[in-house]
Parts: sequence; C-alpha cells; structure tokens
Amino acid sequence: MARLALRRARAEARAAERVMGDVETLRSARRAYLLAAVLGAASLPMVLLYLLLVLSSFADTIVTGPDILEARYSLDNWLMFFRGEVAPAAGRLYTTADILATIANTAIVALGVTAVVVFTSVLAGYAFSRMRFRWRRGLMTFIILLHAFPGVALIIAVYAMYVWSSMPLARSEGAMVAYAFAFTVLARASLELPMSIWLMKGFFDRIPWEVEWSALIDGASRLRAWWQIVLPQVKPGIAALAIFAFLAGWEDLIYVHVFLYIGTAGKVKTLATLIEELTANIETSYLPVVAAAGTLYLLPTILFFVLTQKLLLEAYSGGLKA
Amino acid sequence: MVEVSLERVTKRFGRVVALDQVSLVFEDGKFTALLGPSGSGKTTLLYIIAGIYKPTSGRIYFGGEDVTDLPPNKRNVGLVFQNYALYPHMTVYDNIAFPLRLRKLPESKIDRKVREVAKMLRIEELLDRYPSQLSGGQQQRVALARALVKEPTVLLLDEPLSNLDALLRVSIRAELKRLQKDLGITTIYVTHDQAEALSMADTVVVIDRGRVQQVDTPQNIYNRPRNLFVATFIGSPPANVLYARLTEKNPSLACVEVNKARFCFEGERAARLSRLGGEEVVLAFRPERARLGTEPRSDMLSIPAEVYVVETLGRENVVTLVVGASMVKVVTPPSQVPRLGESYYVLVDPRDVMLFDPVTELNIDYIEA
Amino acid sequence: MRPRVNPALFFLLPALTLIAVFYVVPLALSIYIGFTPLRNWNIAGGYLSQVTLENYERLFHMVMYDPDIGKVVATTVVFTVVTLAVNVLGGLALALTMYLMDLSGRELSLGFRTLWMLPRMTPIAVYSLMWYYFFLPGEEGILNSIAMRLGLIDEPVNWGNDPDLLPYGAWAILVVVNGLVGVSFGMVVFYAALRSIPREQIVAARVDGASTLHLVLYILIPQLRWHITYVTVWQLLSLLTTYAHIFLLVEWGAVDEFWGSNWALYVFNKAFALGESDQGLAAAAATILVLIGAGLGVLALRLMGFGRMMAEPRGEV
Repeated sequence: MARLALRRARAEARAAERVMGDVETLRSARRAYLLAAVLGAASLPMVLLYLLLVLSSFADTIVTGPDILEARYSLDNWLMFFRGEVAPAAGRLYTTADILATIANTAIVALGVTAVVVFTSVLAGYAFSRMRFRWRRGLMTFIILLHAFPGVALIIAVYAMYVWSSMPLARSEGAMVAYAFAFTVLARASLELPMSIWLMKGFFDRIPWEVEWSALIDGASRLRAWWQIVLPQVKPGIAALAIFAFLAGWEDLIYVHVFLYIGTAGKVKTLATLIEELTANIETSYLPVVAAAGTLYLLPTILFFVLTQKLLLEAYSGGLKA
Repeated sequence: MVEVSLERVTKRFGRVVALDQVSLVFEDGKFTALLGPSGSGKTTLLYIIAGIYKPTSGRIYFGGEDVTDLPPNKRNVGLVFQNYALYPHMTVYDNIAFPLRLRKLPESKIDRKVREVAKMLRIEELLDRYPSQLSGGQQQRVALARALVKEPTVLLLDEPLSNLDALLRVSIRAELKRLQKDLGITTIYVTHDQAEALSMADTVVVIDRGRVQQVDTPQNIYNRPRNLFVATFIGSPPANVLYARLTEKNPSLACVEVNKARFCFEGERAARLSRLGGEEVVLAFRPERARLGTEPRSDMLSIPAEVYVVETLGRENVVTLVVGASMVKVVTPPSQVPRLGESYYVLVDPRDVMLFDPVTELNIDYIEA
Repeated sequence: MRPRVNPALFFLLPALTLIAVFYVVPLALSIYIGFTPLRNWNIAGGYLSQVTLENYERLFHMVMYDPDIGKVVATTVVFTVVTLAVNVLGGLALALTMYLMDLSGRELSLGFRTLWMLPRMTPIAVYSLMWYYFFLPGEEGILNSIAMRLGLIDEPVNWGNDPDLLPYGAWAILVVVNGLVGVSFGMVVFYAALRSIPREQIVAARVDGASTLHLVLYILIPQLRWHITYVTVWQLLSLLTTYAHIFLLVEWGAVDEFWGSNWALYVFNKAFALGESDQGLAAAAATILVLIGAGLGVLALRLMGFGRMMAEPRGEV
C-alpha cells in the first residue's frame, strides 16, 4: 500500500537517474570501482576491529590479527559467560540467572526508551508540524537548543533529583529498583527527545495538507483525521524513529551507569555496566569472555543495522535536512 | 441542494489581504466557475466555503443557514483537490467509503452507495486497487466519487483537471458538465484556465487581487468585459489595448484619435464618452474581431500598422503589428499571410470596440450615469 | 465555538512534561548547585541551603595553579580542535568519495555509508572495549602485536600512559576513538547536500571539459561552504560536551587520567567519583560548559537558517 507508492516513486526516481546516468558524469565505471577499492581499504581497519572482537569471543586469547590462524577456537567463552564464570581459574562470580537478568535489564531499558520516545515525539512532532499555538516557533527553537546542551551539566542535577526523590522509597528494595528503572528510561528518553521531535515533525511535514483536509471535509474530527489518515502515512517514519530510540537505549552507558548501577549500588546491571565491571577488574578479568559479552551486546545493533540500513540513512539525513 | 452566499467576506494573512469584501451568491443547482490568475484569491475563497480557512470578517450562508463558524466536518461539502488527496494507505473502495463510515452508516448501505457512485463514474473495476496503482484520470474519478458519495449540499472543485494531460482534460470537461447537470448539485469550480471556465460554467466569477471583477454568463464575460482586467485576462490571444486621445467630446458626437487614425462615435457611446473626465480613453478589441485591409474604411476604426511577426497556426494566422509604440495582434484567415514589414490598416467594427475609462479601468458601457 | 483549550496542548503535554522535568529543572538546579558546597550527594545535609561563590574561586585557582587541571584544559583544547578537523575533513573526504562513486550510476556507496555510521551506533561499552584491546599495553594488545610482528618496536608499548609518549600518546588515542564516531555526521550531511546538487551542473561541467579534480574544487566544494560551516559549529559543540566514549578508557586505565580527560569528563568524574565526590565544584565547572554551549548552539541555529524550516501551518481548522 504505502510501500507500493514508495516503490513506485523509487522506480520513477531510478528511471530519471538512468536518463541522466546515460551522460558520462564520471569518466568510467572502472574509476568508480577504483574509488570503491580505495574507500574499502580505508575502511578495512574499522572492519578488522569489529572482526577481531567477534573472533576473540571464540578464541582462547585476544586475537590480534597476525595470530588469527594460531588461536584455538571454541564455544568455551560463550558457555563460561552464560555460566557466570568470568575466567577459567576464577570461581563463579555470577550465576546464569544474573547474566540473563543483565540481558533482560538492557532490553527493558532499550524498549522503555523506545516506547517513551515514540509516544511523546509522535504527538509533539505532529503538533509542531500541523497545529497553531502560541510560542510555536520559539518552543521548537528552544527544544533544538536543548539538544546542544552539555549532557554532563544535566546529569548532575538529574541525579540529585533522583537521590532526593527516591529517599522515601529507601525501605523497599523492589520499589527502589522499579523507580531506578523508570528514572533511567525517562531520563535517557528525554535526551533523545529534541532530535526525535524534529525528525517526526519532518515526516509529518511531508504529508500534503490536502489529504488531511479531505478527511476533515469527509466528516472526520481533527483527532480522527490524525489517527486514521495521517498516522498510517508516517509509519515508515515511526519505524525509523523506534529503531533509533531502541539503539540509543541499547547502546547507552552513562545513564545506566549512573542511575541503575551507582543508583542501586551495583545491584542492577546491564550489559554495558557488566562489561565495564568485568574489564575494570584487571586481575580477575579474562578478556576473551568479555569479548563474548561484547559480541552478544553488539548483536542487535548489527542486526538492526544491516536489515534497515536504507531506512536509517534516509531518516538520519532527512531529520537533519528536514 | 442549496444556494451558497458570501456576505462581505474578507480574509487577511498577516498583512496580505487575500480577499477584500467579497459578496457573492452561488445559485442553487448551478455550475459556477471561479476564474482568476494565480494568487488572485480564488482558492482561498473556495477553502473559506469549505471551512478550511476562517474569514477574517464577513458571513457565509448555505441556504438560510449561517455556517461561518462551522468546522469543515459539519458542513457537508464535497471537495476535490488539485492533487486529489486520496488516502494512499486505503483502497479505492475504502477511500470512497470513508465519509460514509464516519457517518456510521450500516456496511450494507455503504456498500450499495459506493458501488452506485463507482458505477456512475465507471471505476467499478478499480475498487480493490490502491491510489498509487491508478493513472491521473482514474485518481481524479476516485476523488470525485469520494466527494459525491456523501451527497454533499455543495460540490467544490479546486483545479481538478490541471494535473491531467491536455487530451484527457477536454474529454473530462464535457463529462463533468454533464454529470453536474444530471445531479443538479450546486457546484463551484476553481480554475485559472479560461477555456475550462467558459466552456463548463453557467456563471463565471472573475477574481483578481482578492476582488470580484465580474460575475456574468460566459458570453457576457467574453463580449462585454466589465473592466480592462477582464478584457485582457479573457481570450487567447487576449484583447488588444490602445491608448487614444479624445479629440471631440460632444454628447452626440465623440471622436478618438489613435496613431493618426481618427474615428467618431455617435449616440449612446458618444454620450458616455463625453462624460469621461480626462482627455484620454482606452480602446480595446479582440484579435479575432479585427481584420487587415490595405485601405482605411470610413465605417470602421482603421489604424495604420506595420507587420512585425506572423505566426501560422494552420487554422488561422496570428499577426502581430506595430502601432506607434504599442503592439496589436490580429487573427487572419489562413489564406491571408502578410509579409514582414508590410503596411496595413487594422479594421475594427465600432460595435466590437470596447472603451474603458483610463482612471477607473471600467468599461464605459457599465458606468452609471 | 472555538474550544477554550488549544488541542495542541494535548499533543504537546507528554513531551513538554519530560522536557520540563529532565531539562529545564535540572538546568536551573545545576546552575544553583554550582553555588553550593554540595558534596558526596549529601542532599539532606544542609549543603543546598548555603549559597557561596567558593566553587568558582576554587575552580579559578585550580586552573591557574593545579598542574592536573592544567593537563585537563590542555587536553580539552587539543582534543577538541584536532578531532574537529578530523571529523570535518574526514567527513568531507568520505562524502566526496562516495558521491563520485555513485556518479557512475551505480549505488556503490550504500554499504560504506552504513559501515561508517556503525561506530556511532555501537554500544559505547563495546566500542570502548574494542579500542581497549587495540591499545592494550601488553603483548596481547592488537597494536603492539602488529607493530612487533612488523618489527617496528621490540617491546610492547603502553600507548596511553608511557611517560615518554605523554601527552601525545593519550591525545592520539582520544582523537582516533572519537574521530571515528564523529566523522559520520559530516559524511551524512555532506553526502545529502551533494546529492541535492542538480545533476545538470555536473553534466554541464563535464561538457565544458572539467576533470574530476576541477569538478570537486570548483563545482562541488563551493556549494558545500554553508554545510561545512554548519557541521563545524555543530560538531565543535558536541566535541566540547562529549565524554561518554572517553569515560571507560580512563576508568580502565587505557589512557592517563588527566592527559586523557577532557573538561566534560573531568566534571563527570568529579561528581560521580566513588570515593570523595564534589558536586558543587562539578556543577560550577559544568555551568561554564553550558554558557559556551548555549552561545555555539544559537550560532548553529542561525547558520542552519532554522527560522525558514518552521513554515506556518496551513488552514485554520
């Protein structure tokens, strides 16, 4: 449906491109491949970095490149990690349940951030794109400026607010943990809000006004026109926004470090703070196991990325240009 | 079906006045065209009738009912946009059914009505498709079906043919006119294309710069333009305009002189000319109502001129001639192909000469004594 | 007939609530904390009711006389300037290469664009971990291992801490790590801008006999001037305030504590240190960042031509 329209538009764009493509704008295709080769060579160290991490997670040592063939590979690191053993000699520092809880915690934060960001920015983006209210322009400028504010200035005060507001909960550990999660999610989601609102506004801007007016003339209320006519058309935008928000919640280190880790005195860990903890204990740490944890942590990012690369790139540049 | 009337409607966007004290009556069951150049305020006017814009001042009535403060969803109008504004995520069927579903009609009744209107517009076989799978002409029909299915009191059309290719446009023009006559629905049609307006409408409203210039039948708009704007906006090529000196100003005989050619009017025309304030008058005539002659004629306005360009169009030729510092165009039959630089007299029957007050730009035939 | 409450409020309320709670209040609070002697998160201890200029005096004194703070300031300046150059020029080079590749009519650059976005999207802990392995001081460090195999060094080097290499070793690590994250911003902006240049201009230039170098220098880059300024300002702003990607490198000891910390990270560690923490001083130091940030932010929005992007809504329903 909407996708069909998109496909058609793309086909037309491609046809137009082909017409211009007939004109020799780059001297030869060979030169294009040469450029691609140069760029590939420049990108190689970065690819290698990721590759070595993944390989190390299966190896008995940190794979450094020249020794790729010398290392012995097995699933041992992964098994150890899921058993909660962080080094062959060391005892079990964690239980399997701890590890699973850590993964679940990471997912909870990421999904929570996604839900909050999508809900608030889809609403606000529509208002900024389509509605009249006082201070509309000023408010949008202010929100974009917030994006530029130093996060470190915010986090000190936000943590002070957290310490102060969580005092009454100190007696119940369950309430404390739930509060820490809620606070992490809301605080981290807020960090994404300025850009997300701007991105969503851009998506709403692209829908012709006439379509919305048609719905109103057909007898729909403003709310209904938004829900039934406008929202279905920004579905790809919402998908991109959700993926961005999920990745932001998933990759986060500082907020889970401050609110979940420090805030609960190390009781609630996520993959980020677990890796931080494992690596920090140099004496006990066995790096191949940490590599397994890191690879596991990296997996959803890569997955989302490969599957949705076009959508993300379009959204990213669209949000910037608007 | 109702009569739509506007009472001193003004619309400002910031400091820009889009509509200035417009009072109009769109007759019940009639096809009215709003004709004007881009930026004239015609679309604003249509949107005000639909309720998309609110007038800065003035009232709007459907029949006797004041709808000025009603939101669009309470007005029961049908509107077809220039870009059709179909809902891309719905099938043709769902697009047409949408207004009926909002009214919470039973599905069986919706189905009957959708198929009825689809049959009328001959889009039955398209009902399962999505808008992106339709051609421009098909999309236009679907938009029309969606507007008509709810049996609106007023049908509003905003340049509905401008996105179609020329051939299709002409065939749909006739069809649309017939459809309107069959349904007898009060229809307001916005266009910048005079051929569309003149060929389809019962009444044409010419708008420019937010003001109504003339409201009349297509024949009168063409033959008796109320002011200079209408005269030069209508017609293809538009009317020729020449500034003339009034050399004689008697109520019984008034003479004008243009490029050394002198012509005298008698009777009613002379009386009206004599009442003009200044010493100048604006002459206008349509290129197809003028002829080229080698000799001046005493019963016709005969202006000496020199051929500048000749455009041969097959059915006719359009000859551009230099008259003093101005240019005029004359349509000649295919047999008469003047050569560049040749001298002719442009001959115009006095009944085809339109006269305008240079200050108010009003046609003197319309000036009240 | 018009409802008393603007329906826009309904749409804005959730976002505005979050913004008020997590931006506006904290910002005011942070500036206020900078004027109090709050330490060790002792919120209830009465520190918050004492207003003082002491933090700013201490800060001034430290910048002038404390060699460790001197290192942090120097690191901040060098790190910001060099990384900025790497980001902008690197982004430009990447975008131009990709654009020229795609001129041949094949979409060759998609994979590369994704690849270079990856560091930005990678979990920060994993990204830090990869670089930690890379610069590890022992023989098992990737860089050491490769350099030793190639015979460039005889013994493993402690890249981020070796006194002989300081401060350049630590600085180089910071620039590489953050440069790779920031480069994608310029790349995406420049690439989008290049793609929006009408294809006819390229064809015309080719018809006029322009070589690829001419094309880049006289047609493409001049049209990017505005984007380059915009990216530079925006990137400067984010580099001044970034600390997340350095945080673990310092904590794990991959770089020297002071030669490897910029101002923002210093502020963070001052506030969240596990032992003795000093929020008053940290907040005061953060306020200075806020002031610089606000100025640069306004400048960036001006450059963006922000006002033009906020078209008024049409219709009045």
